[in-house]
Amino acid sequence: MENILLRDKVRDLEGYFACGGYRALKKALAMKPADVTEEVKKSGLRGRGGAGFPTGLKWSFIPKDAQGPRYLVCNADEGEPGTFKDRELLLKNPHALIEGMAIAGYAIGASRGYIYVRGEFAAETALLDKAIGDARAKGFIGRNLLGSGFDFELSTHRGAGAYICGEETALLESLEGFKGQPRLKPPFPAVKGLFAAPTVINNVETLAAVPAIIERGGEWYASIGVPKSSGTKLFCVSGPVDRPGVYELPLGVPLRDLIEKTCGGLKAGKRLKAVIPGGSSVPVLTAEEALKVNLDYDSLAAAGTMLGSGGVIVIDDSQCMVKLLQVLARFYHHESCGQCTPCREGCGWIEKLLDRLEGGTGTPADIDTLVSVAEGMTGRTICPLADAMAMPVISFVKKFRAEFEAHAAGRCCPPEAAGKH
Amino acid sequence: MPKITIDGKTAEVAKGTTVLQAAQALGIVIPRYCYHPSLSISGNCRMCLVEVEKSPKLLTACSTEAADGMVVRTDSDKVKAARRDVLEYLLINHPLDCPICDQAGECGLQDYYMEHSRAKSRFPQEDKVRRQKRRALGPHLVLDNERCILCTRCVRFCSEVTKTSELEVMERGDHSYIDLKQGKALDNGYTLNLADICPVGAWTSRDFRFKQRVWFLKRTPTVCLGCATGCLMEAHHNDGVLYRLVPRPNAETNTWLCDHGRMTYKAVRAGDRLAKGVIKNGLIELEPALREAAGRIDENHPAAAVLGSPWLSVEDNAALARLAKDAIKTENFCFDFPGAQGVKDGILINEDPAPNARGARLVKDAYGGIALEELRARIVDGRVKTVVTEARAAAFVRDAVKASGARLIVFATNRADIPPAAYATLPYACYFEVPGTFVNFQGLRRRAEPSVAAPEGVRPLWALVNRLAAYSGASLHLDSAADALKEIVFK
Repeated sequence: MENILLRDKVRDLEGYFACGGYRALKKALAMKPADVTEEVKKSGLRGRGGAGFPTGLKWSFIPKDAQGPRYLVCNADEGEPGTFKDRELLLKNPHALIEGMAIAGYAIGASRGYIYVRGEFAAETALLDKAIGDARAKGFIGRNLLGSGFDFELSTHRGAGAYICGEETALLESLEGFKGQPRLKPPFPAVKGLFAAPTVINNVETLAAVPAIIERGGEWYASIGVPKSSGTKLFCVSGPVDRPGVYELPLGVPLRDLIEKTCGGLKAGKRLKAVIPGGSSVPVLTAEEALKVNLDYDSLAAAGTMLGSGGVIVIDDSQCMVKLLQVLARFYHHESCGQCTPCREGCGWIEKLLDRLEGGTGTPADIDTLVSVAEGMTGRTICPLADAMAMPVISFVKKFRAEFEAHAAGRCCPPEAAGKH
Repeated sequence: MPKITIDGKTAEVAKGTTVLQAAQALGIVIPRYCYHPSLSISGNCRMCLVEVEKSPKLLTACSTEAADGMVVRTDSDKVKAARRDVLEYLLINHPLDCPICDQAGECGLQDYYMEHSRAKSRFPQEDKVRRQKRRALGPHLVLDNERCILCTRCVRFCSEVTKTSELEVMERGDHSYIDLKQGKALDNGYTLNLADICPVGAWTSRDFRFKQRVWFLKRTPTVCLGCATGCLMEAHHNDGVLYRLVPRPNAETNTWLCDHGRMTYKAVRAGDRLAKGVIKNGLIELEPALREAAGRIDENHPAAAVLGSPWLSVEDNAALARLAKDAIKTENFCFDFPGAQGVKDGILINEDPAPNARGARLVKDAYGGIALEELRARIVDGRVKTVVTEARAAAFVRDAVKASGARLIVFATNRADIPPAAYATLPYACYFEVPGTFVNFQGLRRRAEPSVAAPEGVRPLWALVNRLAAYSGASLHLDSAADALKEIVFK
């Protein structure tokens, strides 16, 4: 099927316009804002940042009678290990995001939008700034959009490098100029978000899908994919496959097809050991589980994991699971904001336990401690970073316990992986 | 009004009440670190997690609003496990230096560990995160970041109460630590409250550190005499020695206590504390000092005057009024201190540094007397040649005394208070040593209760007044502080 998001020749405004760009905005501006939201509800579009919350429903949470400004924020703080889809979208199709934001802004009554871009994305931000400038010059951004009377101003804001700012309330704190730390909820951003005003925060990929939905209708979009997981999704595949990269596929495709057909299978001589299907925070799947599962919200949930951000990390049998988990633990330990006790202390503890196991000084009791520390963090913090650490720990140990035990017994890894370190 | 059930007990609470507050009203104590009733909700310590029916996750009691029909459990296995886990996390990087920690005995970690955990640590000592210890910050505090549990009460206090925002959490994760913001100093005048609200031994008082183990302390409820606000406080003492003053939170006046107020106890055992009389510059025993003072009053008694003091209790002021009326038999007395009264910094510190101008006015209401201006005029024109007053109140007539050379007889507790012009000084017992009644700027009657004994031979001011009268051949029949209050009408 044709790609909706990752298209050729739409990098600049001319190309985008030639392919029918900004027609959806014109169409939306002629509709009632509530009808735009209704159309998105009909499409079944779900948040592509990782949580999968229905987008239209999120928009409708803005209180109808709210006075004062409202804000639309695009979360382009793509920092989840194994995830690099938003970056691709920003580079290849920035106007889909800009048009999507203008439409979303109109739907929720927000005249001000911000794109919070990951700090490391300097070139992407520059490109986005240029695209916004081009759109403004044509009247797609700014005052009185296309003569509709609706104003929509849009600007980028670069983060300073913290993973936690991808969490929507930490993002808002950072955008307001404070230290990026998640806020206690409620109140939720729809009621009290940016500068204490009603705010919708959507992922890049989510907003970029909006123009096509408006132009071609929610029902059309809902017909793509499978029930409850409609539309296309960007999958970023990393690991020892023949053609790693970002691919746009309808939701519901078998993970096996993504790896074997789209990506050309594993490199010669490699055997599949495990797959993390949705960015490093979600539970890992064994090869056997991975080859049976479909890539949609429900199928992955049934398999005990999540679609997450669509960051598919393919792991072959030369990799040591203890070492991999140690790398992840280092990341989450480094990125924990430190507010909540379980996450602040637990992430560091987990890394230390893994350092010992990986360093050959661990004991079998350390494996049980590892799991119980992770369990003690689960669901007990302000934001899901603790869960993002705990889920890989629990699933890695559960599914690859033998490797952990081998480490605790003083042997290194399975023989195939021993050469790696 | 929402009806909430907690551990099987039901209560109807006002809208907006949190689960933690509702539980408190039902007599159920939910453990907490970051929550403080007078600070904003932070929700970071995760100690107050409770089980709420229909919620898949445990919720923080401090931030969850009570809703109608809500059913909460604070004693389920899930909740108990969460508390145990939080305590284990908090303790892994804690130095466990209780034997040398000043907080021991009133430490949230010790108390909750005993109550909710008692688990053996699974964390190796050598893996602990090290942080800076024993850092003096500001004039009153020491910060030990290694003991800190990052509850941020101190950060919130400085941004919300004093609005000076000196503190911030630096870094992140388990390397976070509390520090001063660049260019700031921790000298907002309320810093010792940090030592109180810090649930662990991270913030300790430089003044109190290592002076006394807290379990030896006896606690006496009393009132702060540092200014006209009249904050309720508790004096902590042992074996006749005062060690610290802490606030007694109350709805009328104070949740906190200012640094100045907290240090008022220092005068009690200061090096210049008076235990004897002073004539000119020489120390002499109390009785000869009293005799000398009485002789000086008598030698020109129609020209003697008595000036009360807003630093003295109602009782002692009333005794002075009796001295003027019934012993010296003069109309030259004044208990009229207009002093501007109001909280000047928006927190606690009053415009009037004296604690009892309103109490002195009750004495004026009962005994009359002349206005301060009139007394000054009489001193200047020579109608008054001797003034009996309290050392700090002597400042009210300083210029007049200087101009006329009138003789000044003062009561003082410390040498530093004695005005240079004083001819005779009589030592009296302060209000950490004897009881006294005060009336704060709001008109609230406040009681100073003694917590330690006065230095040997030092007596209450009313008793000295009784002796002075006796030397002058009059009897005031003052056998107790209460006797002096007979004619005072409290409103």
